[in-house]
Amino acid sequence: MSVVISVGMADYKIARAPDLLLTAGLGSCIGICIHDPFLKVGGMAHIMLPTANGSLGGNLAKYADTAMELLLRDIAGMGANKSRLRAKMAGGAQMFSFPGKPPVLKIGDRNAEAVEKELKKYGIPLLVADVGGSFGRTIHFDVGTGALRIRTINQGEKVV
Amino acid sequence: MKITQFQLDALREIGNIGSGHAATALSVLLQRRIDMSVPKVWAIPFEQVSEIIGQLDTPQAVIYVKVEGEASGKAVFFFPVESAEIVVQALFGTSEQMDLYTSEMAQSALKEVGNILVSSFIMALTQFSGIPLQPSVPALAVDMIGAILDAIFLEEGVLDETVLFIDTQLSGTPKIEGQFIFLPDAGSLKKLLGAMGL
Repeated sequence: MSVVISVGMADYKIARAPDLLLTAGLGSCIGICIHDPFLKVGGMAHIMLPTANGSLGGNLAKYADTAMELLLRDIAGMGANKSRLRAKMAGGAQMFSFPGKPPVLKIGDRNAEAVEKELKKYGIPLLVADVGGSFGRTIHFDVGTGALRIRTINQGEKVV
Repeated sequence: MKITQFQLDALREIGNIGSGHAATALSVLLQRRIDMSVPKVWAIPFEQVSEIIGQLDTPQAVIYVKVEGEASGKAVFFFPVESAEIVVQALFGTSEQMDLYTSEMAQSALKEVGNILVSSFIMALTQFSGIPLQPSVPALAVDMIGAILDAIFLEEGVLDETVLFIDTQLSGTPKIEGQFIFLPDAGSLKKLLGAMGL
């Protein structure tokens, strides 16, 4: 019997197959999904900003760099082998554009870049990056198979 | 910043008057009765937003206005898509279905409605605090509510860990529901409360 574990905003969770991880309504935030396909364990983080900028305290799951650390620590705690880890990510949209004003701060793009950088740092291959656009995403991640189901309101649904 | 129960009560009263103005404006615009609920006020970390908003992937039409002035902030009005469709139809006096995702006419009508509603609240804030506040040009997004709200939280600078929600609901027949949130920028709340002698 598989359970769907919900990951909130600025939150992260780990899971073991056959359980699924879910995060609903990603806008400029990013859902980072990491799993070990052999051990069939993994985790998901719903990050809001690129970096904690060395600020300690507050919610560490909110930032790409510190959330990645927490996620990897807990996945390793379930016995996963670092060299087997695989990553996928989705989100990083730009939901609004104000008329007559250039979108100076594309926080979604900056989030995606930050996640890529972190993955590179840990040597984890990024298999799928479904990022950008101007629409929200709800994602389901199967830690067993690594299948990532991405649902949108107007851009259809797909499994990557 | 720590917010006392007394201050929350005062903010609720402002929300009450703001939603009164908004309900009146909307009922004149749509020529139908619009009711409002007594607003709820929360000071919470924004991670807990979903506990207030409910399902984060429900499609909603969201009008977002930046509030500029000495006590700046973000004002957000949102309708479930079905309600927004009814509002647009009532405005154009048609029973024809209009697609909020694609119809520019429907979108600009919704922005205007949002503008009027948000201005009603800002007027109440200005009346109480004496701090002049100006709404920006409204922006509209029709999508998953969680996705839109996270973009609003993250847009332009870093918000405090704690956000203030003055949340009020408008409802009308048939089936119009709407919700309003005001998110003061860091420091604004202190100014507003200070100006009101709280």
